[in-house]
Formats: sequence, structure tokens, C-alpha cells
Amino acid sequence: MATEPPPGRPMDAPAFSMPGVRPTAPAPAAQASAPADDGARSVAQVLAQTQVEQVLAELDHDLVGLGPVKARIRDIAALLVIDRLRANLGLASQAPSLHMSFTGHPGTGKTTVALRMAQILHRLGQVRQGHLVAVTRDDLVGQYIGHTAPKTREVLKRAMGGVLFIDEAYYLYRPENERDYGQEAIEILLQVMENQRADLVVILAGYHERMATFFQSNPGLSSRIAHHLDFPDYQVDELQAISQSMLTQQNYRFSEAAAAAFRQYLERRLQQPHFANARSVRNALDRARLRQASRLFAERGRELDRDALCTLEAQDILASRVFRAGQPSAAPL
Amino acid sequence: MMSNPTGRLTQGQFSFLPDLSDAEIGLQIDHGLRQGHAWSVEYTDDPHPRNTYWEMFGMPMFDLRDAAGVMLELQACRQAFPNHYIRLLAFDATRGVESIAMCFIVNRPAREPGFMLERQELQGRSLRYTTRGYAVQRPEGRRYGD
Amino acid sequence: MSETGRTQITDAKKRYSAGVLQYRQMGYWMPDYQPRDTDILCLFRITPQDGVDPEEAAAAVAGESSTATWTVVWTDRLTACDSYRAKAYRVEPVPHQPGQYFAWVAYDLILFEEGSIANMTASLIGNVFSFKPLKAARLEDIRIPVAYVKTFKGPPTGLVVERERLDKFGRPLLGATTKPKLGLSGRNYGRVIYEGLKGGLDFMKDDENINSQPFMHWRDRFLYVMDGVNKAQAVTGEIKGSYLNITAGTMEAMYERAEFARDLGSVVVMVDLVVGWTAIQSMAEWCRRNDMLMHMHRAGHGTYTRQKNHGVSFRVIAKWLRLAGCDHLHAGTAVGKLEGDPLTVQGYYHICRDSHTRTDLSRGLFFDMDWADTRKVMPVASGGIHAGQMHQLLHLFGDDVILQFGGGTIGHPQGIQAGAVANRVALESMVKARNEGRDIVNEGPAILRQAARHCGPLQAALETWGEISFNYQSTDSSDFAPTPSAAV
Repeated sequence: MATEPPPGRPMDAPAFSMPGVRPTAPAPAAQASAPADDGARSVAQVLAQTQVEQVLAELDHDLVGLGPVKARIRDIAALLVIDRLRANLGLASQAPSLHMSFTGHPGTGKTTVALRMAQILHRLGQVRQGHLVAVTRDDLVGQYIGHTAPKTREVLKRAMGGVLFIDEAYYLYRPENERDYGQEAIEILLQVMENQRADLVVILAGYHERMATFFQSNPGLSSRIAHHLDFPDYQVDELQAISQSMLTQQNYRFSEAAAAAFRQYLERRLQQPHFANARSVRNALDRARLRQASRLFAERGRELDRDALCTLEAQDILASRVFRAGQPSAAPL
Repeated sequence: MMSNPTGRLTQGQFSFLPDLSDAEIGLQIDHGLRQGHAWSVEYTDDPHPRNTYWEMFGMPMFDLRDAAGVMLELQACRQAFPNHYIRLLAFDATRGVESIAMCFIVNRPAREPGFMLERQELQGRSLRYTTRGYAVQRPEGRRYGD
Repeated sequence: MSETGRTQITDAKKRYSAGVLQYRQMGYWMPDYQPRDTDILCLFRITPQDGVDPEEAAAAVAGESSTATWTVVWTDRLTACDSYRAKAYRVEPVPHQPGQYFAWVAYDLILFEEGSIANMTASLIGNVFSFKPLKAARLEDIRIPVAYVKTFKGPPTGLVVERERLDKFGRPLLGATTKPKLGLSGRNYGRVIYEGLKGGLDFMKDDENINSQPFMHWRDRFLYVMDGVNKAQAVTGEIKGSYLNITAGTMEAMYERAEFARDLGSVVVMVDLVVGWTAIQSMAEWCRRNDMLMHMHRAGHGTYTRQKNHGVSFRVIAKWLRLAGCDHLHAGTAVGKLEGDPLTVQGYYHICRDSHTRTDLSRGLFFDMDWADTRKVMPVASGGIHAGQMHQLLHLFGDDVILQFGGGTIGHPQGIQAGAVANRVALESMVKARNEGRDIVNEGPAILRQAARHCGPLQAALETWGEISFNYQSTDSSDFAPTPSAAV
């Protein structure tokens, strides 16, 4: 019947004991695998292997402005490329922390850049799958005791292998409400950000001032952020360029007069509060399209050629409330 | 100790191989994720072959892209139940299958006493057999904890 | 008086006057016919006698397998005979085989009885194969429409439920046939069962000719085998089974044996093909009622499936068996001692396991066929295979297969348990390596050697059998494979 395993035999190697049969050789010890050298010795070789330049070029081309952001991203990419070359020569260094914070007003491109960042990190082998999971406080924090931890863990599991983007992250922290469970989510995040850097990159995003306050109250979180990227508001020229590319994508165009009118619109609108950059431009263009449609609708008998259907005229812009002085209302402009 | 050549419970895909390291488990999880399966962690202290339903440690994990998420749950289960059998299962929801695609043991109690065979004599030379686990003679929670 | 024209005679008076007409004149050759979704379609490979026109031969096949006879009969006119006639609608020469033709024939649904394989076979192959104007004929493939498929109950258990009952997922199952085929007493037979299952196999198997002979009565075999099965289940903690062969001289005897197997707690019984279609369907229904797996041994099929020019292709037999109802079906190994080229064998596996079988000429699948969610059959690879071929077997057939290593287990130098251990370790390490993304086709032997370092029995198995392979020219490979081997 049964015999006790001989002392010292490791539990994890079956010995295939068939009494009377010559015993087998002991299992060799498992070897830790050394990281592979993929043979790249120059920056060009790493870039060719990883195809990351394409994503960087798309970033440059598809996103207007954001000069300092793009520069910082290039720096990060350069660091990771050099790290790869060092690893190939056996110069191991600790895995870099890649957690980031993106600060800026709404509509300045934070989510878009986060998505591109996920792709860049994936190409450079820093995240295994390269997908982006975008959440806010409500996705992480529960409504009652014991609700938060599983909720946060669920989100983390889905994001593993990619990038977790937490928008308006400061809402996690509500010190004034002692029954708030956001702190629990923060604790879990801190642990994962520290111990599982190879599995997940976290990007916290929101308004600059509020993020600063948030970080002051949560030094643990702040210390784990390696890169702070600030997204400046767009200038009028940049907003104009954004509007052009949005129109082209939708098969519309401004007439010359409309383009000039839109510039005036932007200059006035920027003086007013609650401007959400690219998002507001999109909304303004949508309203212009509405007005164009109404204008053309009135001319029932007219045959509408491509030009007529594609062109936004000056009056479609000038109808905006922005051009009527002294009208600070809540209605869309 | 059980008296088959491995001395252990031989359920699951890899029971005749040396225990899988965490890295190897991760590779198996990745294989399942690539096929689009959902992984689940289950544990039990009653490994009777007809015990189909082990206890679920959390829900099956849909929509995961990476093994790290599953490993998180596995480590938590190992911490909570270090002396239980733990297995990973992958669910395949394809039409015509709708069953389990992969299943292997990832944790075992330190000692596995195994089963006895009870025979009940009937008419002629017929017998009825019952497999009875040694461990389950004790109540839940105290079956393997020496 | 006979007409010697070549086209269908549509004038009723001419068509039905007494005399002998060519089949094509009688309406059995219809090149413009569009097969309907509810038609049964058959592909015949025919070798007409010298001087017989291939289209006439095809029409003759259609005629003789449906309503015609060698002379005109007036009683045809009492029926709606135009719809009952089978229609040969396409004829093509077989590539590289002068004198052989493929003929497609369509049969109306009304010609068949629902839920009866006996009727389907009697209709299609009952008459025409002895027909003199054909030198040889083979039923190459068949498309059974959903309308007809749905009248059959199919496998009693099916591949998915089998795995759930055994609680075994993600790897092929392992079995072995007890050897020697004949002569062991019941008690000694049970010993082989116990050793094989304890060593790590999932199933053991009776051979096809073990029924109830003077050296071992079936009751004694069942009693001793089930003792071995239950002991093995207790020492391993896994569900084990042994296919108890219930083939007998009469249905009554078969039922008696099946019931005894059930009462002793077996999960599976085994039936030989030679019991016939009616018995197979009855046993399948019994198995469903009694929660039993049904293992089908294709005993005797080689007499009519192996030669390419005459007989019935095994792929047709497999389709009939899936509908008649069996859970396991021997379908070939491709690399073992018995006939079967790899692509053709993969074609049989498709038939067992597909939800929709797709046309694939290189694998001998000539029709798309929708199985209408009929349960799936677990194919069995058995015959001359050993652990050293594990990578080839896994690559060719995937996970849903039972690999039987009879000689490869019982002939192991260190004993039966060691043989079973060797097979199980080889299998598990190959599955693990494949899941990790390794190239098992090329690295297979290296993976086995690596696994053998942890496992003495596997080492011994590789040393004993590593060089053995069975490489004879197949007699039945596809006409459309990239490198056709010489046939017939």
C-alpha cells in the first residue's frame, strides 16, 4: 500500500514509483530563464524591430499642437529604446516606472494621447497587450462596505497587460466624507502600481490645480508617478487647424468667408468660460452643420451639387450667439 | 499518499508532470485567453472523482486580456486556502461546445491520503463499489491541515 | 423494340411503351438539374464496362438506386414517377485515372424513411453495386440534408458531455486494447485492465472479437474488468472506464449484456460494426436511456472501404454512424500499422467532429454538409502507435481524440503500468508544450526527450520503439492531394 515519500524529495516532482521497477533519475532543478538578447545594437535596429516610429509619426501628424507633450513622449520612447539596448548587452537595470499623470483642461487630447501611449509602450515591449481601459471614480469605488475592493480588482484585471487611464482621478479622494470608500481604491492602486509594474501602467488625468492638490494629499501616489505631462490649452491657430481636420474627415469644407468667420468665432469664444478646446470646436462645427442644413432645406427646388452640400458658408457661423454682444447665457454658443 | 505511480491525485491536464511554475501557469492562461476562453479559479478539499462542483473563488473572469489578472486571483486563493486543491478552468462559449476547454490543478495539500474502495456484495459474484475519500471523514476546513 | 437516342424521352406514350430504353432516355440523366436543399446527394466513383458511356452509366446508377428496372414498366404511370427518379446531374473524369468517373446523383427526400440508416443504405447501395454494366463502383461521399439529419437522434452522449462526465478537458484521452486479443481468462484480463488504468490511461478496451468464448465467458470478463476499473479509480482519483464489448448473436443477448455492464457501474459499452445498422441504432437509444457511452469498433469495414475503385468509402460509413449514434468511432491513425493516409484520415475526423463539414478535396470531402447541431463523435486512433509519435498525433488530430496504445502499453519493458505512465507523460508534456507556443512538429522529439529526463518509463519507451514507423504506400489517398500517391 502507500509509502511515505522519502525525506527531502521535493513535493513537486512526481517520482513514478512502481515498486520493483528501477527508480528514475531525480528531476534537474528548474532554471531561471535569462532575458533574451534580440540582437539589436543600434537605435535604428530597435526602431526597425519594434515599428514604434510609425506610431510616433502618427502622433505627430494626427494631433495638432501639443508640442511639449510630444517632446516628452519622444524622450520616454528614447529612454525605453536605450533600455532595450542595455538589456541586450546584459546591463540589467530595474524596470522603469512608467506611471504618468496627464493634466490639462478638457478637450486637450489627454485620452487620445493615452491611447497612443499604450500603443507605443506595447511596441517597445513594456506592456504585453497594449490595450487601454479608461475609467472614472465610479468604476473603481463602491457604494457600501466590501463593494470597492472587488470592483477595483475587476477593473485592474481587465486592464492588466495594458494601460489603465483614470480620468478626474482626484474624485477618488474625498476626505470630508468619512464614509467614502475611495481611499480603499487608492490603497489597492498603490499596491499594484508598486508591485506589478510589469503588468500594468497607470495614467491619472484631470485639471492641473486639482491634481496638484490631490497629489499633495496622497504623497504615496505622487511618488509613484514617473512622468507628469501637462496639456496646454490650444491657441486659436491650433484650434483652426483642428477644425479643418475635423471638417475634412467629415467631407465638409469652409468657404473663405466662413473660415475667416470661424476664426473670429474662436477668438471671441476663448474669452468666455467653460471652453473645452477640441470638444467645443467639434460642438461648434456640429451646430454650423445644423444651420447649413436648415439653410439648404429652405431652397427646396434647388439642385444641390457636391459643392453646395459640402460647403459651410459664413452665415452658418455668424448666426452663433457669440457674435451677439453681452449674452452670457447658459445656452450653447 | 496515493498508490498510483505519481503518488498524487491525477485529475487535470498536467498531473503527471512536475508542478507548473507560476511562469508556466501564465503561459497556459495566455493560451486560453488567445482562444477567447474565460478563466475561473476553484478550490476544494473533497477531490472525489464524482465531485463535479468545486467551490468557486470569485466569478469566472470574462474580458481579460492578460494572464496577470488571473494570477492575481490565484495568489489570493492560495493565500486563503493553502491546504486545499485549487484548479484553473477555462470556459469555452462557442456554439456546439459550451463547456470547459482546459482544466489543471495548481495547488495541492501537502499530504494526499487518497481514497479507499468499499465493496458491497450482491447476488452471484456481483459487487457494488463506492470510492470513499480518507480526508472527508473529517469536517470541512480540517481535512488537510496537519 | 428499343430506342437508341441519347436524350430523355419526354413524350409519355413513347416513354412508357414496352421495351428497353437507355437509362438516360428514361430521365435519369439530367445535366441541368439544380440540387435542392432537401435532396440527398451521392457521389459515386464508377468504372463503366468498356463501351458503356459514362453518362449512361451514371444514369444507370441513379436509376438502379431509385426506381428503374431493366425494362419499361407501365405501372410507373400509377405514380408521380418524375419526382421519384434519382437524377444523375454531373459526371467528371477522375484525375489521373482513365476509365474512372465521378458521378453526382440527387435523391428526393421522399425516398427515405426518417430516422432509419438501414433504409438509407438499402436504398443507396442495396442494388447498384452488383450491376453488370459497371466494372466497379464506390460510394465516395454523401450529402445528407438538414431535413433528413434532424430525423436521427445521433450520438447518445456526444463528445462534450463525455468530457463532462469523465471530468477530463484540454487533452486527448488515452486508451489501450488488452493484449493478447484472445485467450486470457477473466481474472488475468482484469489484471491488465487494472495495471493500465492505474498507470495513467483513461480507458481500456476489449478487442472486437472478444465476445463470450470458452476461455472467458462475458459475465466473468465484466465482473473482473469492473473490479479493475473501480480499484484504479480509487487509487488515482480519476474516473476510469473500460469498453465492455456487448456484441452478441441476438439483440436480446446484447441487451442482457448491456444491462449487466450498467449494473456493475461501467461508464461505457462497446459494439462492433458487424452487428448491423438496426442493432446500432437500437443500442444507441438504449445507451441514451442508460447514461452510457457507446464505443463503436469498425470491425470488418476494411473489406469494403479500403480499395479506391469499389465499395463504400469510410467517410460515408462515418456519416452514417454519426447519425445512427455512437460516441467513439475508430477513424484511423495515419501513422500507425493500419491503412490511412494522413489527409484522408483528417477528413474522417472532420466528419466526426464538425458542426459544418466543408468541401475539401485534398481531404476527400466533396460536399458542404450542415450537421444541424447533431452531437459530435470522439474519433479513436488505434493501431500500432507509440509514445514516440505523440507530437505527430497531437499535430494531426488536436485534442478531441482518443489515442489507443495497445502494444505500446502492454509491451513496455518495465511493465504495463510503466507503459501507461510513459504514454501519459508524453501526452501531457506535448500538450503543455503546444499550449506554450512551441513548434511540436519540429521540436516534438526534443520535447519527448526532455520529458523523459523526469520519467524513466518514457525513457525506456523511446529507447524501445523510437525508431519504429509504418511507411507503406496508402491505397486510398485523395485524387486531389498536392502529391498524390500511386493508387489502386
